[in-house]
Amino acid sequence: MQVVSLRSDAHTDAEPVSGRKSSGVDSAAAMIEIDHVSQRFQTSGKQSHLALSDINLTIEDGAFVSILGPSGCGKSTLLYIVGGFVQPTDGVAKVKGKAITGPGPDRGPVFQEFALFPWKNVLGNVMYGLRQQGVKRAEAEARGRKLLEMVGLKGYENFYPKELSGGMKQRVAIARTLAYDPAVLLMDEPFGALDAHTRTRLQNDLLDIWDRQRKTVLFVTHSVEEAVYLSDKVIVMSRSPGSIKQIVDIDLPRPRKRADLLLDARFQKYIVDIEKMIDDGGKDHL
Amino acid sequence: MTVRGVLKTLSPLFACIGLLCVWQIASLRLDTESSPTALEAIKAIPSILGDKGSLLNILDSIRRMAIGLVLAVMFAIPLGLLMGRIKAVAAFFNPLMMIIYPVPKAALMPIIMLWMGVGDVSKILVIFLGVSLPIIYHAFQGSKAVEEKMLWSGAAMGMSAPMRMLRIVLPAALPEILTGCRTGLVLALITMITSEMIARQSGAGNILFNSLDMAQYDTVFAMILIIGAMGIVFDAAFEKLRLSLVRWSQPRDDMPLSFT
Ligand SMILES: Nc1ncnc2c1ncn2[C@@H]1O[C@H](COP(=O)(O)OP(=O)(O)OP(=O)(O)O)[C@@H](O)[C@H]1O
Ligand SMILES: [Mg+2]
Repeated sequence: MQVVSLRSDAHTDAEPVSGRKSSGVDSAAAMIEIDHVSQRFQTSGKQSHLALSDINLTIEDGAFVSILGPSGCGKSTLLYIVGGFVQPTDGVAKVKGKAITGPGPDRGPVFQEFALFPWKNVLGNVMYGLRQQGVKRAEAEARGRKLLEMVGLKGYENFYPKELSGGMKQRVAIARTLAYDPAVLLMDEPFGALDAHTRTRLQNDLLDIWDRQRKTVLFVTHSVEEAVYLSDKVIVMSRSPGSIKQIVDIDLPRPRKRADLLLDARFQKYIVDIEKMIDDGGKDHL
Repeated sequence: MTVRGVLKTLSPLFACIGLLCVWQIASLRLDTESSPTALEAIKAIPSILGDKGSLLNILDSIRRMAIGLVLAVMFAIPLGLLMGRIKAVAAFFNPLMMIIYPVPKAALMPIIMLWMGVGDVSKILVIFLGVSLPIIYHAFQGSKAVEEKMLWSGAAMGMSAPMRMLRIVLPAALPEILTGCRTGLVLALITMITSEMIARQSGAGNILFNSLDMAQYDTVFAMILIIGAMGIVFDAAFEKLRLSLVRWSQPRDDMPLSFT
């Protein structure tokens, strides 16, 4: 299958992406700052649940950062806070030095639940963001088709979400977010429902896009291998309350080739080490 | 089309013919003056529809019904959608609706007539009241059920709150809204006839009761047939429209519950 990549000539605003770095002052390199953020949820029966406890984190502009951790440790919640969908009960989250007060097109989410628009067909879903932002139909459509080809859904343009499999929905959701070219991608287990082959292919495509456009990516996954393969930094979280257990810098050369890495002892060691960290966390709660 | 397909399409017709046959046999056995046979009733239909006065009366009824229905739709859909998304709006209107909902709207007719006379305004108002509540209710349910992540996706695309309401909540809730509208359409017909039976001045309901007063029983039954046919035609037409608008949401093999 030919992999069509998303070239920067497909959209005119590719330049500001590289120009971004010079815009800030002293926090020039920090894209996302999370400062003493806690999140408490009211649960039924007048109780409350501390989903995130005192999270501190700085993500540099153009960094690829993955979050690993047991189910329920607050990974999605952290992503929602950066997205501006949830206001933290404590602390501040900032993007480009400005406190986050709500969602914006600079941060594009890919939700665990896809959240496609069921009344729009596949192409309509992918074009949606561009159309809302006033991009002409022909232009939005051309870009939409290109993205669908990239995620391997050429020929499915006229299908409705109810007619797609889980993995296909996920790919539409990814294309829909990439379409409006956010500087930050917030991806919540985006490859979770994919078969191994498509998963590998989309991992490579994502690395490709990231390589060319240097988006900042915050990527939640349950696969240690995927996290190590893709990331500059892996954040390992633990549960009850959700907190950062450890941050691991992944010091592997780029561009990365999966075939080479699988044989690389350093790659294997990262995976073993991180798996152990998660395991230890697991024991605490059993 | 398969034999089964043909049978499925024609099944409503068979149901009609069956009912008419039962009626025919029953009235022949009863043989009283106040129960004309189905054939006699059907024979009376052309003379009603051929009479200019009666026809104008019936068209007048339809006009009032359409105005009441359209006004209700324009009022109820936005209100229901807002109630589903904004807690304060729901908190304000919910108790109000709880009180109004169980009151038969036709029972308000005498008061409304007292204030507004027996003309169009009273009748349209009653239709409006009768139709609004189910549509508000369904729009509310549909709007409440819209997946939050869908709205978040819209917000991340830079859509403002009113835009999200119009471009996400409305289409997402459309199947539910149209279910409400279908109920509303039938209720509009019912309220229309009822209002004309109370404010005896013009309309299909008035013809029906006048002929009852004058003991023209074949006309009475013919009118019932005409009104019933109107309901069936309106409902079937609306169902066609509804299906074409929400085909994206239909389960693959839906139970047919209508004349499609
Ligand atoms: N709206 C909410 N109301 C109450 N509790 C919530 C809410 N959202 C999340 N929580 C709680 O916060 C905790 C973290 O949830 P979150 O969805 O962020 O976990 P997660 O790490 O993404 O899990 P998973 O890997 O299963 O997706 C959970 O214990 C969950 O019950
Ligand atoms: Mg999650």
